Amino acid sequence: MRIEEQNVGRVSVAIYSGLAALGAAAFLLVTVLTGDYSWVSGIGGAIWIFLLSMIILMPTITPMVRSRVRN
Amino acid sequence: MTTKDIERKPVEITLPVSGMTCAACVRRVEKALNAVPGVDSASVNLAAAKAGVVYDAAAVSVPDLEAAITEIGYEVPSARLNLIVTGMTAGHCDVMIEKALRQMTGVEDVVVNCATDSVAVEYLDAAVTSTAIKKTIRELGYEVADRGEREESIDRERQMRREELRRQTINMLIAWPVGALVMLGTFQGEWILDRFVPEFMGEKWFLFLLTTPLVFGPGRQFFVNSWNGLRHGLTDMNLLYATGIGAAYMIAVINTFFPSAGFGGERATFYEAAALLVAFIVLGRYLEALTRGRVSEAIRKLIQLQPRRAIVLRDGEQYEVPVDEVETGDICLVRPGAGIPVDGVVVEGYSAVDESMVTGESLPVEKRVDDETIAGTINKTGSFQMRATRVGADMALSQIIKLVEDAQTTKAPIQSLADKVAGHFILGVHALALAVFVFWFFVGHGLWFEQETRLLLTPYTLAELEVFGFALLISVTVLVISCPCAVGLATPAAMMAGTGKGAEYGILFKGADAVEATSRVDTVVMDKTGTLTKGEPSVTDIVAVRGSDDELLALAAAVEKSSEHPLAEAIVEATVGKGLSLPTISDFDSVPGKGVEAMVDGRTVLLGNRRLMDDRNVDLASRASEAERLELEGKTVMFMAVGGELAALIAVADTLKETSERAVVELKKMGLEVAMITGDNKRTADAIARQLGIDRVLAEVLPQDKAAEVERLQADGKKVAMVGDGVNDAPALAQADVGIAIGSGTDVAKETGNVVLIRDDVLDVTAAVQVGRATMRLVRQNLLWAFGYNAAAIPLAAGLLYPFTGQMVSPELAALLMATSSFSVTMNTLRMRGFVPPIKRGPPTAPAEEVRRIPETATEVGS
Repeated sequence: MRIEEQNVGRVSVAIYSGLAALGAAAFLLVTVLTGDYSWVSGIGGAIWIFLLSMIILMPTITPMVRSRVRN
Repeated sequence: MTTKDIERKPVEITLPVSGMTCAACVRRVEKALNAVPGVDSASVNLAAAKAGVVYDAAAVSVPDLEAAITEIGYEVPSARLNLIVTGMTAGHCDVMIEKALRQMTGVEDVVVNCATDSVAVEYLDAAVTSTAIKKTIRELGYEVADRGEREESIDRERQMRREELRRQTINMLIAWPVGALVMLGTFQGEWILDRFVPEFMGEKWFLFLLTTPLVFGPGRQFFVNSWNGLRHGLTDMNLLYATGIGAAYMIAVINTFFPSAGFGGERATFYEAAALLVAFIVLGRYLEALTRGRVSEAIRKLIQLQPRRAIVLRDGEQYEVPVDEVETGDICLVRPGAGIPVDGVVVEGYSAVDESMVTGESLPVEKRVDDETIAGTINKTGSFQMRATRVGADMALSQIIKLVEDAQTTKAPIQSLADKVAGHFILGVHALALAVFVFWFFVGHGLWFEQETRLLLTPYTLAELEVFGFALLISVTVLVISCPCAVGLATPAAMMAGTGKGAEYGILFKGADAVEATSRVDTVVMDKTGTLTKGEPSVTDIVAVRGSDDELLALAAAVEKSSEHPLAEAIVEATVGKGLSLPTISDFDSVPGKGVEAMVDGRTVLLGNRRLMDDRNVDLASRASEAERLELEGKTVMFMAVGGELAALIAVADTLKETSERAVVELKKMGLEVAMITGDNKRTADAIARQLGIDRVLAEVLPQDKAAEVERLQADGKKVAMVGDGVNDAPALAQADVGIAIGSGTDVAKETGNVVLIRDDVLDVTAAVQVGRATMRLVRQNLLWAFGYNAAAIPLAAGLLYPFTGQMVSPELAALLMATSSFSVTMNTLRMRGFVPPIKRGPPTAPAEEVRRIPETATEVGS
């Protein structure tokens, strides 16, 4: 798929948000499947995972997408 | 050169940047500047709070650079100039001045008020000077004078520091009292506090009301800065703080409004964690702001040296004028005790001047007519008049300040590495916090959790926390404790202290890399003439083969008269006072590295070293033993041939500098190998080397081959410092790992070499190595403090000891430790303020012997 320069931000947001949400969902799934955790712990943990994942992925994904578009 | 080439000529400026606190900030600013189209390179120094930018002026402007910095949350503080402008009339004058000033690069805002004769200009002093602004107004036909204090515009760095200190003081005054109240409220039911602390202070609503303005007041900067960075794909340590404070505060708010949500329950509000995090982080910033600026004290002292006013003599009258109005050629009167306003030459009077602040020379220097004076030095005794020769940016003081400031915006290799590590550190820490959270959530809590253990500095037993609250607290603690601000400060702060300290002693390092390289040299190669010797040779022996001594001396002087070599001057000087008349010469020619030749009365006269005689097949055999004897005495022998036959031997000797021997002894004591490089023949060179205690001699080296000799030493794995004349030895200085230009005098900007020594004293070479080594020792200590802290603190915060000791580090304690690490680094750096290079401390460890006569090389071009 060809990405325009002005769409870099939007594409990046979609990628890192998606990945972070995926991580959070995986976390939540594990808490549900193991059955040992309350809903609050599961959701709270998933939010924290999402937040940290976003912080890690935002500055990583954005330059990657930008450089790919420029190249 | 094409027009395009001219347009693309890179421009270099240094912009002040405020708001940076760590190595990650450095990377952010560098990244932001490098992303601006037209910027070739950007290098940021945290301790100096400056960004050096090389850019294409045709493609990008200073405001563009400023915008790139401010967009990511930092500031480029501008200077303000308040002027009184006379001659303005209401109407077009204000428009004209405003228009002219606004066209100047670096001028940001202009306010002209004709009614009060005032013009206020805001400008970036990296891009334009106050002198240039005033000059523009004068060129429009108005009179200009400063209004009020000039100090602020001269000493911008101090102003920035004051501003930062003021900001952090306000934050401290809010954060600490409120933080203390929150702590008292949180512990209200504990120990004996319930007797003194009203119950309402322990109420979660009250704690909420106290903490909220703290988080969004003094703590707001962390959220704003981290968001600005994230938007541009950049991270810094503000993000660590923001995540830590934000997480603690959000949990507290949830537990206040929805206590049954299961985030630790009603008691586990964490307000005190959020409040103390803000307080400790602000404390760290306050301490940094307090101590960081002091590191660059030396530069500030230099800036403050220049007098603000000068007494100028015009038409026999004395006028006191601002110093930036003094122009080249003006005659200035300097009274006893007064500072010398600009560089100049004494035209009348006599005095002693204290130049220690610029050259490091401890004794006052006598000044007579025709002697040079340096701006910023202090006239001690008599009164004299001087003619201004260099003003404004051309003055030695301005050049020195610029050189040191430029050096402080460069990076040592070790610093680039530390910055790179610190820059990636933030993301690494977040990844670690994520891993730690997952580990303690799914594994650690189940295996080792004990309900009765407490977090240090909090009132909670862990029993009050569920698995989520427990894992979250550890995760937040990891974020807070890992801040790499000490890493970011470690190297630049030490470099600023080191380069500043060097400047105090007349040793100017041209960059942080020069400091690092100087500390690593293991071999010092010294040029002989002018470095180890005074470079003022004189004739000692004449061995006449054909003709009388005077005849031959006159002939030699006639031939050498056109040469500028010190040996030639010695021969010409020897005829002075003897009343000898010099014959007329023609067809003078210099043979580089060998000697000279000319025609006298139809005969060819050759004067030079053995190599020249060999080239021209002149037989030296008859006087070989005498030449050898003179050389063994350490004298330089020059051979003169007339009409292809040997006519005379002329021996010349130079004088060793008083400090040369001690400098060599001290360098050897420091474990350095000292080598001497010279155009002298081996025998003569060895004789000099023996006197100085130099073991390695590189003799018979032509000037153009010196660089190759240095390269040869480097090929043997040596880290070479080459000491020599910054002009004649430029290629060798450039080739060496460290080029040390000695005796630059006041024109430091023209010097090549990585290190410029203002004074002509070899002891300063030793001092330069000592300053370099002390600085790098400081860098290593600082990095050890900083990385050592992180290496020790992160595993503790991640709960490594919890399974064995049951002790956990709380976020508050993490913030305190983090602040302590930055503080320890800055305090350690401040020790450099009291550093005196050992060689400058007292009497020589190996007493310098009496000055000796030594020989000079027979090469024609300066050896």
